[in-house]
Amino acid sequence: MSPDPSLKQTPEMTTKTRSSKRMTRTARIAATLGLTVFAWLGIALTASAEDPSASASAAPSAEVTPAPSLAPTPSHPVIPTPGPSDDGWLFATSEPSFGPPAATAPPLPSMPVHTAANGANSCYDCHSAVNDKQATIAAQWKDSAHGKGGIGCADCHGGDPTSDQITKAMDPAAGFSKAPDRQGTVGLCGSCHANPTEMKASGLPTDQYAKYWTSVHGQRLVSAGDTRVAICSDCHGVHDIKKVSDPSAKTFALNIPKLCAGCHADAQRMAPYGIPTDQFDVYSKSVHGVALLENKDVRAPSCVGCHGSHDAQPPTSTTVVEVCGKCHTATQDLYGQSRHSELSAAAPKCWTCHGTHDVSQPSSAMFFHDTPPNYTCDTCHDLTTHKLRLELSRFAKAEDRRCDTCHHPDSEIYAQIQGIATAITGAETAYADADAAIERAAGFGMLTDDADVALVGAKTSLIQAQAAIHTTKLKTVAELSADARQKAGDAQALAQSKIDESVFRREAMVIVIGLILACVVFLYMLKRKLDKELD
Amino acid sequence: MESELAPQPDAPEGPPAEERVVVHPPEDPSPAGDDGQGSRTTGRRRFMRYLGGFALVSTGAMILTPIIGFLVPSKSGAASGGGKQLVGTTADIPPGAGKVVALGSKPAIVVNTEQGVKAYSAICTHLGCVVTYNDMIGAIQCPCHDGHFNPTTGAVVSGPPPSPLPAITVSVEGDQIFLTEA
Amino acid sequence: MTADPAARQRRPSWIEQRTRMGPVINAAMHVRVPMSAKTMYFGGIAMFLFVIQAVTGTLLSLYYKPTPEAAYKSVQLITSDVNFGWLIRSIHHWAANLMILFVVLHLARVFMQAAYKYPRELTWVVGALLFMVTLGFGFTGYLLPWDQRAYWATVVGTEIAGSVPFVGETLLLMLRGGADVTGETMGRFFGIHVLVLPLSLAGLLGLHMILVHQLGLANPKRPEPRVPTKEFEEEPLRPFFPHYIVDELVAWYVLLAVLVVLVSVFPAGLEEQANPLQTPAHIKPEWYYLGVYELLKLVPRIIGILTPIVGIGLLVMWPFLDRRPEVRMRRRKLAVGGFSLIGIALVALTVWGYVS
Repeated sequence: MSPDPSLKQTPEMTTKTRSSKRMTRTARIAATLGLTVFAWLGIALTASAEDPSASASAAPSAEVTPAPSLAPTPSHPVIPTPGPSDDGWLFATSEPSFGPPAATAPPLPSMPVHTAANGANSCYDCHSAVNDKQATIAAQWKDSAHGKGGIGCADCHGGDPTSDQITKAMDPAAGFSKAPDRQGTVGLCGSCHANPTEMKASGLPTDQYAKYWTSVHGQRLVSAGDTRVAICSDCHGVHDIKKVSDPSAKTFALNIPKLCAGCHADAQRMAPYGIPTDQFDVYSKSVHGVALLENKDVRAPSCVGCHGSHDAQPPTSTTVVEVCGKCHTATQDLYGQSRHSELSAAAPKCWTCHGTHDVSQPSSAMFFHDTPPNYTCDTCHDLTTHKLRLELSRFAKAEDRRCDTCHHPDSEIYAQIQGIATAITGAETAYADADAAIERAAGFGMLTDDADVALVGAKTSLIQAQAAIHTTKLKTVAELSADARQKAGDAQALAQSKIDESVFRREAMVIVIGLILACVVFLYMLKRKLDKELD
Repeated sequence: MESELAPQPDAPEGPPAEERVVVHPPEDPSPAGDDGQGSRTTGRRRFMRYLGGFALVSTGAMILTPIIGFLVPSKSGAASGGGKQLVGTTADIPPGAGKVVALGSKPAIVVNTEQGVKAYSAICTHLGCVVTYNDMIGAIQCPCHDGHFNPTTGAVVSGPPPSPLPAITVSVEGDQIFLTEA
Repeated sequence: MTADPAARQRRPSWIEQRTRMGPVINAAMHVRVPMSAKTMYFGGIAMFLFVIQAVTGTLLSLYYKPTPEAAYKSVQLITSDVNFGWLIRSIHHWAANLMILFVVLHLARVFMQAAYKYPRELTWVVGALLFMVTLGFGFTGYLLPWDQRAYWATVVGTEIAGSVPFVGETLLLMLRGGADVTGETMGRFFGIHVLVLPLSLAGLLGLHMILVHQLGLANPKRPEPRVPTKEFEEEPLRPFFPHYIVDELVAWYVLLAVLVVLVSVFPAGLEEQANPLQTPAHIKPEWYYLGVYELLKLVPRIIGILTPIVGIGLLVMWPFLDRRPEVRMRRRKLAVGGFSLIGIALVALTVWGYVS
């Protein structure tokens, strides 16, 4: 800048002024920038803790507020920092664990206010005729659980359902509001469904709202303002809500895996969260998946069976043991008798050996690797605390879910496992041998009723022995295996006696051959004699 | 035998073919066996006779033994399809108790319930274990995975079994319990 | 041997006095057998096998229960628990197969030696009918164990019968006793197998034997003259009883030994019980129908159906189609060649049916 001639400047004054002016300017720019950034961050952090719709609970109308705009863009959400946990993440990836809910549940809004309907529903009358899209929505509502249950448009949207004039019917003063925002929707649904008085007539539970806020979906919605998470309408539908027991409902037992997979199998959608998207594929090949999806067995667990529905969370160590045991009660009891169940940090749980989404038919191949794995100190011990712990990442692959992933071949426990393995495989072989013998006997046409009965008894003992593996008690397993082996041996002996009988009978026919030969010799001699007479 | 084939010049009729049958009568063996091949021929004839008798008897035995043996009823001839089988008495299975018995080639469970004696296949519909009766809880129970069945209907009460136990027809005569094999 | 033949005739035996069957039996025991006639035993063995089948079949019918619910178990019981039941059943199984084989061999031998020509045309016709009855035995008996193989082979077999032009539908209904193979089918097949066919076969066989007896055995070296020539009258004969009979008996005993070996080494099996809801992977008829079955797969269906029908017609009427008097094989090259070709083709088709 050109020096101002009006200013009398000494050379040192000029220099000093110039530099000080420059410094001041830099400082000013820096300070402004810094303050802006801090203000930005500060507001961001504090604003995300607020629920804008909570402030509207006192207002008579449903909120039509935009999404919290001060939060960072949802495509790069702020992820709560992982806390230390000795249980790890189920998928053995470097994922955060979730402790108790970070943010508290927002207070329950009150129900939307609207003019009393008195049986009228002008909304439906107009909207079913206005255009195709609206007609579809209207038809969906009519068919839905709400439509059949007398819950009209105004019960959610407010307004005046008795008037056929659009200005009156859709008057915000009469309580009308359009579709609420994502978080608002949850509150809207909850305003009725979490109200015990309201739900008394239909007998529906009222804990979904409270549970939802404990779920990962709810937590992310409320603490990170992540509107991409699932809300009520994503799973249950909007106007086409059906009862869960309705086979055409999205939330029907057989349809649940596809419903969750709609988001969770979409790699693009799940990219920001860093969680796998192959669960549906893996699950559909598992024993549970096949039972549910192919055999249509509604008792088989779907996603919600283990994760919960409204309170969907990845099960952690404290919750998954109970989850498996909900159905597998007998195995749960057996596990409770085992040494494994007494451990804390080093305890293998159901899914350690059986997998989570990829639960498959167990077999005696699960005892040992073909070649023992490498063992280091930190295979079993935490290097800092030196305490025993179980590293789930070692069990990530199905072929690593073996006893000897933890137990070293030179250890005493390994010898016990070998005892168990020998007992079980011995019983299985005995059973297979008996089965084969019965089949052979039947192939000879022998009746094997007594052997069949004995074999069924052997199978019972064998299955009990296999289940007893969960007790990790060699004595129990050995006893049951020995019983199975003995019964299978009896069955095989009975079948073998039938086979021996068949063989004896047929070998005895050699006597008959001898007799026939004698007759043939005689006749031949006779024939020769007679022929000699002829010529 | 030889005599029947020798031409009978005095026979008033005989089949025409007979006259043209060319037969060389064998030499008459002298009883004293004093022709050149006497002793061997006699021995041979005797041997033939014995062998012939043996052949005849053995043929008869070979044919008659299996036939007669076949006709004699065997010990396990009972209940071959559609028969009733006695499995116990009401003294063995008092009210409130249940017992597993063998019915043909399959185990069956008999339970004496308040609605009478009921019987089902004892093969659990889950994985094939043999069920037992747990009189403490009053249900049919599978020891393998804790499946429970209703003893009055065979329906699944809890646990992994996918379908009820197939019922077996029971008939109680006096105090004897009969099951009918399907 | 009494000194006075006349005296012997004056004193008939006790039974002769009360039956007067002497001349009949005498006549029956003498069949005209030219010296040059050499038996190949086939026909006799076929008859022997029929007797075996009648005996074993009767025994089996005492334990077998002809309903779908009980049949399978009754066959298992016979095989497993009844004394010698396994033997009777396996003999019945193998003798059935051998009977069909030997009837075919007998047919081939008769054809090759032109023993169907004058005056034995009717004998041949009766023999062709016997052949068809034997095949009918095989078809009806096959269903009776009511295992998967039996059931589905019958389904396929009756289907094929149903595709005969014009009469097919009715034929199928009559065979099956309804639209499907059920207990009704079993009832019909059992009645046919146990009463209708045995009586038919016995009658036809009696007729066949009477004709053979009356006409005597054919001379394979020259045709029989229509008017008896001197040569014919004076040709040397062989005594039927006992020479010819003893000869046949040797063969029968050897056959018995073969049967026993087969029964011991290859006992009759049983697949799993018939399940109308579950079609097994490969359904094949038994070997004696396999050739025709394979033919059906190769040619258009109508040709495959009509070929056996036309073939059987030709077979029955053959002596009236081939009226040339020549009996030596080398003078009948066309007939022998044609027959051999058909035979080889059928065998090839059968073998292919087995390996495919």
